[in-house]
Amino acid sequence: MSMQFYVSPEQLIKDRAEFAQKGIARGRSIVAAIFDPGVVLVVENPSASLYKISEIYDRIAFAGVGKYNEFDRLREAGIRWADGTGFTYSREDVDARALANYYGQHLGDMFTEGQKPLEVEILVAQLGNKLHPTKLYRIAYEGTITDEPRFVVLGGDAETIKERFAELDATIQPLAGTLKNAVAALAGPDRTVAAAELEVGVLEDRGTRRTFSRLSDTQVDELLR
Amino acid sequence: MGLPLFSAQGDPGPSFFHYAHEAGLTTAGPRGDAPSAHATTVIAVRYLGGVVMVGDRQATGNYIASRDIRKIEPADLYTAIAISGTAARGIEFIKMAQLSFEHYEKMTDSALSLEGKANYLSPIIQRNNLSSPLMVIPLLAGWDLSHQVGRVFEYDGAGGCYERSDYATIGSGSPFAESTLRLGFREDLDLEGALDLGALALYEAGDNDPATAGPDFVRNLFPMIVTINENGFQELAVDDVAVRFKVINDRRTQTGGVAGGDLR
Repeated sequence: MSMQFYVSPEQLIKDRAEFAQKGIARGRSIVAAIFDPGVVLVVENPSASLYKISEIYDRIAFAGVGKYNEFDRLREAGIRWADGTGFTYSREDVDARALANYYGQHLGDMFTEGQKPLEVEILVAQLGNKLHPTKLYRIAYEGTITDEPRFVVLGGDAETIKERFAELDATIQPLAGTLKNAVAALAGPDRTVAAAELEVGVLEDRGTRRTFSRLSDTQVDELLR
Repeated sequence: MGLPLFSAQGDPGPSFFHYAHEAGLTTAGPRGDAPSAHATTVIAVRYLGGVVMVGDRQATGNYIASRDIRKIEPADLYTAIAISGTAARGIEFIKMAQLSFEHYEKMTDSALSLEGKANYLSPIIQRNNLSSPLMVIPLLAGWDLSHQVGRVFEYDGAGGCYERSDYATIGSGSPFAESTLRLGFREDLDLEGALDLGALALYEAGDNDPATAGPDFVRNLFPMIVTINENGFQELAVDDVAVRFKVINDRRTQTGGVAGGDLR
């Protein structure tokens, strides 16, 4: 017969948090920032097909760090939720805050009740218009949602990168400047990152309903010059 | 609606229709014997550089319910969908198709092929038409980006999908439109030729079918004409459409309403 040993709730939470953090720290960090006039999401990604940044809805983008299969499932659920909500009600009723809350609930549930916590951190970005504000929601592995005012960094090395970016990117500026700063913050002082190693997604009004686009290596290269 | 997460076994994949069905967002129609009206005429004609579509604007029940509804809509940048049959179901069908194509693209990060889109609609039509008397018969036309060619797909009531190499029509005015197209279609039609032929075919349908509206010069309402080619889905400006129907109408006035002659 096996014996159940007593583990205090504090210890249990601590163990689970450590487990999740370790998993997240293995991946590259993501920077998402507001530029004039849009939102840019940047991540180092050597794969040209396994994306970390994705379109959710007309004005909402998603980014995930950590275990790919786990955040990709959340990405799919987000697209389904958004398309389903827009289908049932109206396109303008799809709001990033509701989605961020659902993600938070799910991650929170998995953290306390799941076999293991999800080793992911995700971002829900919304490009504002006259109905909804521009928002960057960061959802941590245990379900905590933070609403960041100007930029957000996800991933293991978030604190360092956050400091670097805050120092470089003091004001909101056009895309090229913000992208340069984001890449510099991701790379750190001792190395450079080539355009081919970057995955960049942008939310920007172009007069069409859908505002998300991926930047090609060439476009990124030109902006970084 | 909570976060729609599925197990790997129960996952509906990138299909919005299957997800919506699973999540109870759509409702199956009741069984019954309501009349299945399909009062409409929409035409799709292939030409060398793409497809021209022409559709009337009238919604007909026991009387004229609307004179300016749109029966042709872009399903995405390179695809057009037209509907005949029950308006409510038709509009839901267009919405479902538009959303499904976009949903697939977002889920998989690649667009469906035109043939994929055409086949995707089959079970949706089948499910609607075989479970409900409120029929919908659509028409799909698009610019095939993989093969750089305009293609037309028509459907039967059970959802069967058939590609047409020349032209297709849907709605109660079809016999009249189809006769005109039979006589006027050539394999080397250019854009202007296809626009003229399409407008004439719709004029004929409007002239003979009580449930199809031809040009309405009193209200300045005209059938809608769209082109789908390498530039994507484009709708002709009302003024342009008005001139084309005015030309046909003037010719017809001169002959005292007799068609005949050089395909007038």
